[in-house]
Amino acid sequence: MYPVWEGMFIHSAMYVAIIATFHVLASHLTVAAAWFNLYIERRAVRENREELYEYLKRSALGLMVFAYVFGAMAGVGIWQSTTAANPRGISTLIHNFVLYWGSEWYMFLIDVIGIIAYYYTLGRVGKQTHLRLAWLLALGGSGTLAIIVGILSFKLTPGAWLENGLSLAGFFNPTFWPQVLMRFAFMFVITSGWSLIIATGLPRGFFEREKIIRYAGAIGLIGLVVGVGIWFLWYQPTLPAHARSIMSSRAIVPITYPLIITGVVAAAATLTFSYFRPQLQRRWIALTFMVLLQAAIFGAERVREVIRKPDIISGYISSNQLLFADLPARGVEREEQRLKEIGMLGNLPFLLPADQIDVANISTTDAQRQIAVGHVLVVQECGSCHNVSLQTQIRFADQHLVLRSLADLFVLRQRTTAADIDAYIKGIQGFPYMHEMVGTDAERAAMAAYLEDFIKQTYTNQPAVIGQK
Amino acid sequence: MLEMMRDPLGAPFFPVVFQALLVVTWVLHIHFVTGAIGSSTFSIYAFWRKDPNLLRLGRITARLTPNMVGLGIVTGIAPLLFVQTIYDPLWYAANTLTGFWSVTFIFIVMGGYSLAYLLFYLKGSKDGRLLWSAVASLVLLSFAGWVMHVLHQVSIRPDQWMSWYAPGGVIDTRGVQFHAYDVPRLLFLLPLQAGLSFAATLMFVSWYLRQRVDADPTFLDWTAGVGRRIGLWVAPLYGVFGLLWAFTEGPEFGLTAFIAVVAIVLGIGLFAFFWLQNKQPVRAGAKALGVWALALVVVAVTREVIRAVSLGRFNYSVANYPYIIDWGSVIMFGVTSVVGVSVVTYLIMVIYQSGLSADGTVSAKAEGFGRVATAMLGAWFGFFVLIGLYSSLFLR
Repeated sequence: MYPVWEGMFIHSAMYVAIIATFHVLASHLTVAAAWFNLYIERRAVRENREELYEYLKRSALGLMVFAYVFGAMAGVGIWQSTTAANPRGISTLIHNFVLYWGSEWYMFLIDVIGIIAYYYTLGRVGKQTHLRLAWLLALGGSGTLAIIVGILSFKLTPGAWLENGLSLAGFFNPTFWPQVLMRFAFMFVITSGWSLIIATGLPRGFFEREKIIRYAGAIGLIGLVVGVGIWFLWYQPTLPAHARSIMSSRAIVPITYPLIITGVVAAAATLTFSYFRPQLQRRWIALTFMVLLQAAIFGAERVREVIRKPDIISGYISSNQLLFADLPARGVEREEQRLKEIGMLGNLPFLLPADQIDVANISTTDAQRQIAVGHVLVVQECGSCHNVSLQTQIRFADQHLVLRSLADLFVLRQRTTAADIDAYIKGIQGFPYMHEMVGTDAERAAMAAYLEDFIKQTYTNQPAVIGQK
Repeated sequence: MLEMMRDPLGAPFFPVVFQALLVVTWVLHIHFVTGAIGSSTFSIYAFWRKDPNLLRLGRITARLTPNMVGLGIVTGIAPLLFVQTIYDPLWYAANTLTGFWSVTFIFIVMGGYSLAYLLFYLKGSKDGRLLWSAVASLVLLSFAGWVMHVLHQVSIRPDQWMSWYAPGGVIDTRGVQFHAYDVPRLLFLLPLQAGLSFAATLMFVSWYLRQRVDADPTFLDWTAGVGRRIGLWVAPLYGVFGLLWAFTEGPEFGLTAFIAVVAIVLGIGLFAFFWLQNKQPVRAGAKALGVWALALVVVAVTREVIRAVSLGRFNYSVANYPYIIDWGSVIMFGVTSVVGVSVVTYLIMVIYQSGLSADGTVSAKAEGFGRVATAMLGAWFGFFVLIGLYSSLFLR
């Protein structure tokens, strides 16, 4: 167990979501753009069409700076933010898959050194040599995608790993194949957007401008159709029943699906338009398309994260960072059961015993001390997914913007006294996306006392929820 | 407490191998990171002085900075992986205690890179009109270095974690405090190392470009001389601040003499090396990079010794880290290493050889190697699918 970082102004989980969304856009773009550029370059070489190199040069420079470097930075950002937000979750992944990540790192080195070589040698080295670089970029990028999907999909469907503890079983888990193919298909939608941005920047009347826009439209449409098809016919049916039930629960913020659908519709419309009317395509349309796509990715990635609730690794470790299942194959014993019996406080690193909490404040009353104890527990048990203090609320006027605030949830359910909250927490496992609270009755009572106080802190004036998520 | 915090899954291979990989990959990472700080600092100096030769070199180094940052980020991923495999309690505690800065770090780096890139995009800013951008970039990149320094310093002081997290029994979940730092250590590892990384890079690049038939030998000889002079000035300071590091942080871990000896050897050794290149520094370019790499290995090992001694006080040792041999991991990493090293070698050969001639010639030997490397990467997907099918069908 580690210290808790709640976040500042923004909840720690939202930092992860924001950085991850950008990373998804950039990383998917690098892979599909590499294939698209390879396609263009092969035509340039085979048909001896020098003018296509102008597009490749513009695309490569933009990719080098935007997608590869910023994508890499956002990748590191995901490490940093997930580490700070939920260290034991990332620790489980690392201790299973560090050498898979090490393998991905090689692919990533190929990507980054490759794009430097690709850009700086364009027009300098022989055409066949440069075409080989394009191949290496496309293959290296696909390698990164293939490897990371194994790790990502493991979180939702660890499969046989839960019995045999073998990394290969966890990596090639039940949703690996549909997810890797689906992402591969959707990548081409993103790269179409990118190609439209680059191609619409070419001078009007440029020899290949319209053709590139048409190629982009066609390839993007194929990716979209294949991706949506895999979603409905293969990926979604493979999801565990628990995940499917959460998809239709209120755990998913209502705006999420409209965001995704808007992105899909915008993609279909923009790409069809590009295919049939390439001469009318404009840069502002392409940019708008990319923005809508980014919003849709945000929605889709949030769904992917939320349908795992209440676990970080489904069936193994919950969002409160406690192991709740044995893994005999790796000699791992669950922690939750023992802590339910003996209590959380004083029994995990960084969780002080109750009598050491708030000791510096000698004028504290028993009631205040109970609230202080409850604060420690609520932060530990609920803080990973919920706003549990004013620290991660953005407030203006009498309103606040928050991530799944417990104050808001209890107000909406009209449970605002400690007694009501206590009873509510006691049966919290009735929700499909919640585990039973870990700890003793006294600890639960302390949590309820703190939550009552937190509601009062939040609603000093009048309830006004604008950021219910 | 530290042993209890270790991940119960253990490492998937011998922990000492991860420790070795951590040291080696950190050397690569720190060279590029400090090289970026060095080239950025030099650009600012050059833009400010406006001497024609300095300005010409400053414009080149301004364009070098974002590439060095990019490579620094990429090479930084590997030590990030290995540190959390064998030092998970340290890394995770430090990152949560300093959570806000740990997360903000990447935005700071993005800002620094973007501002450095502004110079790159404008081809080094003719006449140095973008001096402000270079200064702001340097400030941000240095601040990112400061954040990483604090994270490391926090991580090796487990005895103070609880007092930082819950002073007076009240938990602080903001992660905004810079809990631990050592200024001499920071100066040794960041700005001074930046000077030396940059000096070695400058000599290497001069040596490399000098081999081209269309090279400007006068300018390149002068450039290598600049690199040597920077080395001559910075090396003694490196030794002095290493000594200060020994006297400020050393006593806490009983390592004063050890760090001091390392600092003296590095300071004198590097000074002697640069001093001896007084005749034709441009010819010592490759040697300079090799010597500097060796020095960085010494620094990396020194950091490891400090960490090991610090954790030894709490009976935490990498040698005792639990592990299993996970053959799936080993096979995947082993095969990908062979393929990855081959392809990266080919890419470096293309960059290196094409830069040596005006017409970008790549040798037939390199091309042959490239064909093999590309085929290996293609075959890797065959291996990946086969092992995937085997796992999907037989490991259920």
